[in-house]
Amino acid sequence: MIVKNVFRILPVVLAVFGLLTMPVQAEEINLFAAASMRDAVDALCDAFAEINPDATFQKNYAASGLLAKQIENGAPADMYISANTKWMDYLQGKKMVNAASIAVIAYNELVFVGMPELKVSELKDIVTLERIAIGSPMSVPAGQYAMEALKKSGIDQQLHKRLVMARDVRECLMYAEMGEVEGAFVYMTDAKQMAKNTRVLFVVPQELYSRVTYPAALTASGSAKIQAASFLDYLRTPAAQKIFALFGFTDK
Amino acid sequence: MFAFGPSDYSAIFVSVKVAVVATLISLPLAFTVAYCMTFKRFKGMLVLDVLVNLPLTLPPVVIGYLLLMLLGQNGWIGTWLLQPLGIRIIFTWKAAVIATMVVGFPLMVRAIRTNMEAIDRRLVDASRLLGAGCFDSIFTIIVPLCFRGLIAGSLLMFARGLGEFGATIIVAGNIPGVTQTIPLAIYDYVSSPNREVMAMALCCVSIIISVVVLIVHEWLGKRMGRRA
Repeated sequence: MIVKNVFRILPVVLAVFGLLTMPVQAEEINLFAAASMRDAVDALCDAFAEINPDATFQKNYAASGLLAKQIENGAPADMYISANTKWMDYLQGKKMVNAASIAVIAYNELVFVGMPELKVSELKDIVTLERIAIGSPMSVPAGQYAMEALKKSGIDQQLHKRLVMARDVRECLMYAEMGEVEGAFVYMTDAKQMAKNTRVLFVVPQELYSRVTYPAALTASGSAKIQAASFLDYLRTPAAQKIFALFGFTDK
Repeated sequence: MFAFGPSDYSAIFVSVKVAVVATLISLPLAFTVAYCMTFKRFKGMLVLDVLVNLPLTLPPVVIGYLLLMLLGQNGWIGTWLLQPLGIRIIFTWKAAVIATMVVGFPLMVRAIRTNMEAIDRRLVDASRLLGAGCFDSIFTIIVPLCFRGLIAGSLLMFARGLGEFGATIIVAGNIPGVTQTIPLAIYDYVSSPNREVMAMALCCVSIIISVVVLIVHEWLGKRMGRRA
């Protein structure tokens, strides 16, 4: 009886010991990055890991505002990449990121995607559409830029009750791709990488919204990790910028 | 400290509207299903039982996704039935009603069934022997005797409807003023670093509604108990 019980418990005990004695991965970088950066950052991480084999990444992609909130509430992030300066400034104000490490790593453009047959070629044409996906401006930078453009061109009131608030910019594109919305505000990079059924109907004129800027920074815990700091440096090297360019991001 | 905007009031209104409509539409359906499962013996009963209870164990996100596959513009029902008829369901409040109905249906059926199974079969048989038709005996014997179950089921579904998030956000989207319910609005606020106060305010509204529903449930239960 006792022997039987021992055999039953033994694997569990061994598993627990195994977990406890596992070497601590000192070089694991916890990366919190804007959803629009997903594919580019994945590629950059792989490229970085090739040069630095002991660096591993733990990645968390979501709307920049949501990430900022998670970091503010103590999520274990070493590095934060936001799709706007607003949430980076917010975290800097809360002293959650190392101000000296903040660096802009890429730029992007806002576009409007939709089914190819739609007769929409500029911003004021979209008032004819029934459903438009936009990132929730409260937390999704793409939505915030889009709202800024809509307000500046004076059509935000007309579109009231027709804007579907997506949780991040990739969800906007997904809604458009599935045909559940007529069009969606996404970044040029999302459209280039992922649009299959939809196409870019127009590029939102830059004078209508602030420039899509991606600042990156180390958090307090990230500043203590050598690999995290060197990854941030790496993001600004020509090699990394080449990968960014491959995904459609611009460096100026 | 905080001020509700029009979209917040609308979120409260939409939540209540969706929960009420879903409950009212489900009530006859759930009654029929519960009746069949209690009083009838037929092939495929197990299948029906599993189907009805499936939403109870499935993650709501899965339900939302399946509904989207069914009712979406390129979905099975969407392509063959809804599009030709010009009906649009996804991203309207009707989608929220359907999501709530599916998610709450097992709760409602269970509540009604528990009550129905306690009914003395001889009463039903007697009514039939005395010449009552099938529907006659349903409405004069079964409905009054499982009234408590109907109330309990309705309240459970209503409460579940108020809290529905996973399936709703997928099929009804998150359109402020149209399909944004309280949980969706809270999610929007919670996702943003500087809107905690608004999130908290809507949480309070949610708690108040739930407390009222529970008190009504208790009160009705006691009243019925005394009469029985």
